[in-house]
Amino acid sequence: MTRTSLFVAWRALGRNKLQTLLTMLGMTMGVAAVMTMIALGSGAQTAIEDQVRAAGMNLIVVKAGNYKVKTEDDFGGVVDHQADARLKPRAPLVSYDGARGFSRAYAVWNPDRPARVRLVVHPEDDPMEKHDHPTASQRLGDTEAGLGAAATLTSADAAAIRRIPGVQYVAEGIHENAHVAAGAKRWFTRLHGGDVQLPEIRRAWSFPRGRFFSEREQRSASQMMVLGSIVARKLFGDGDPIGRDVKLWNQTFRVVGVVTSTNVLTAPAVGDDQFDAVYVPFTTVHRLLNLTKLNDITITAASTGEVTRIAKQVADQLRARHRIAESAPDDFTVVTQARQALAKGGMRPEVARAVVGNVEGLEKVTLEQLAKTLERASRTMTALLASIAAVALLVGGIGIMNIMLLSVTERTREIGVRRAVGARAHDVLVQFLVEAMLLSLVGGIAGVALGFVAAGSMSQLLRWSTSISAAGVALSFGSAAAVGLFFGWYPARQAARLHPIDSLRYE
Amino acid sequence: MPIIVARDLTKTYYVGDVAVHALRGITLTIEAGEFVSVVGPSGSGKSTLMHILGCLDSPTSGHYLLNGRDVSHLSDDELSAIRNKEIGFVFQGFNLLVRTSALDNVELPLLYANRGRVPASERRRRALDALNAVGLADRATHHPNQLSGGQQQRVAIARALLNHPSILLADEPTGNLDSQTSIEVMDIFQRLKEERGITIVLITHEQQVAEYASRIIRFRDGRVVADQVDGARALAVGET
Repeated sequence: MTRTSLFVAWRALGRNKLQTLLTMLGMTMGVAAVMTMIALGSGAQTAIEDQVRAAGMNLIVVKAGNYKVKTEDDFGGVVDHQADARLKPRAPLVSYDGARGFSRAYAVWNPDRPARVRLVVHPEDDPMEKHDHPTASQRLGDTEAGLGAAATLTSADAAAIRRIPGVQYVAEGIHENAHVAAGAKRWFTRLHGGDVQLPEIRRAWSFPRGRFFSEREQRSASQMMVLGSIVARKLFGDGDPIGRDVKLWNQTFRVVGVVTSTNVLTAPAVGDDQFDAVYVPFTTVHRLLNLTKLNDITITAASTGEVTRIAKQVADQLRARHRIAESAPDDFTVVTQARQALAKGGMRPEVARAVVGNVEGLEKVTLEQLAKTLERASRTMTALLASIAAVALLVGGIGIMNIMLLSVTERTREIGVRRAVGARAHDVLVQFLVEAMLLSLVGGIAGVALGFVAAGSMSQLLRWSTSISAAGVALSFGSAAAVGLFFGWYPARQAARLHPIDSLRYE
Repeated sequence: MPIIVARDLTKTYYVGDVAVHALRGITLTIEAGEFVSVVGPSGSGKSTLMHILGCLDSPTSGHYLLNGRDVSHLSDDELSAIRNKEIGFVFQGFNLLVRTSALDNVELPLLYANRGRVPASERRRRALDALNAVGLADRATHHPNQLSGGQQQRVAIARALLNHPSILLADEPTGNLDSQTSIEVMDIFQRLKEERGITIVLITHEQQVAEYASRIIRFRDGRVVADQVDGARALAVGET
């Protein structure tokens, strides 16, 4: 039955090509609108998610030592005069103690006070002065664990962190500046003693050539090196550096890979910390320099919402491991990058502004709230776009219904003839329903194609992010089928209900 | 063996509140292979009779036995199946599908035969055979508007014959044709009767056309008023 009805319907549609084409066009527009809207909606969602992820929302970095650089930390890397102004009134420049009268609070070390407040009132520090280096006031723990004592993290600490539930990846890092040389070419760059899990954490990494070093190479502290794309170009030009030798500390390292950024917008440049750099296993650095310390441990949380909890747990764990007394400050710094990234430009400024503008007291915002806000915003947008698309689809559907009703009237005699030669009412119903479905599905296929083009050109020309998923295509196509079925049903039933004699006599 | 047995058929329509008694008790028997003309003025109920005989409609009362089977109160689907298998229709207005080739028009009944499972190649072959039988094999790809009235009616006859029906019902088949073409169509009917033994019921109000049949039934006001078997009937072939 199905094949014959398809055949019959197809031929019937073929009889009036222009009408068929125009009706399909209505459907095409509707489905293309749906496709484009879905692409835009999910594109926005993906863009936000990507930015959140790329911004390291789930990233926690533990640095050895405890020194805070105000310009990079308190308010997410932005020098914020207002923020200081807000803080100042809360800063007890002078405190009053009933028994002893006035005393200068900043002169005494009071571990119970929040560090942020003390920061501002350190006597060395003029609150209006901005420094691009840590001042004495910012190096809170100087007396106990300052810069000089920054060898506080070890691989054992990293192993302990690895055991915290919710931790996804842990990468141990040690960083130096170094001269690297290949033949006559030399380059002064950043040396990262990296961890095999680093590529998992740096989501924006890609390896145009070769690979990162392996677990085994790391364990055996072998002299392998991965070049940042800038270093690769400086040392080898356009040539293939894989398998070539690079000199570092009078040792020979073999190049196994080149790393670059997947993000074309932030193409690596000279001075880039990640790509104007070379990576060797941190174990190799330890072996060659006879060290055990780590400069930092980079952690990712499996769930973005758990960053705050994990950061807290990492701090507790490390304090316990380092046997830090209750009143003593940390000898390490835990940085979660969510807030920093927000203002740093990891996110589009308008998104960041929206987030900041919508949420009171950003510094108190937990990541869960942040994610929720973003999600709500993008859901609102998707809903808006979807309703527009639904209207477009509805119009297409009404077009189909209109043409089918017209067609039933026009072809009343045909229906009569078909009934006379043995078509059952059901056959007539199926024929018209299949015609409506064909209209909507063929129109739908064209619409999906058009949607691809529309979404593609939107991201090309307007720079709007779009994302087309299989589910989006299926949904667009499915809605076309549903529209065909829904709007084709009534005309088809009308056709099937016609009495054979009446339709044969119809003029 | 009678192929059509009608017993006291009545049919009453309602046009608004007014009852129209189109048939007021028809009883007749038609043997297999007969060529019967039904004549009568318009409104005499002959078309209604044809609709009931053709299973397009059910009688209000009475019984209609087709090939010995009472079909007077079957369901719509069952009637459709009978129309498909047992009955071929030829209409006054040809009723061909527009913008559709003669071949596609002819194969129409096969689309609904055997639950639509007749393969396309067989449909094509049988449609061509049927077109060939009415002498239009060379017009297979022509659309109705490219064919003359006589040719269109021959295509319609080919369509009616496609499923090898036992009865051919023709409702004023020559009403839209000139006299010369009418004779050609009648010739085809007579040949079908002679060569294939098809039972033909021809409805007309033209006495001349009616006389090609071997039996003439006269209708008036929903009743049979005369039923004559005419041995000396006109021969279409002889006249041309």
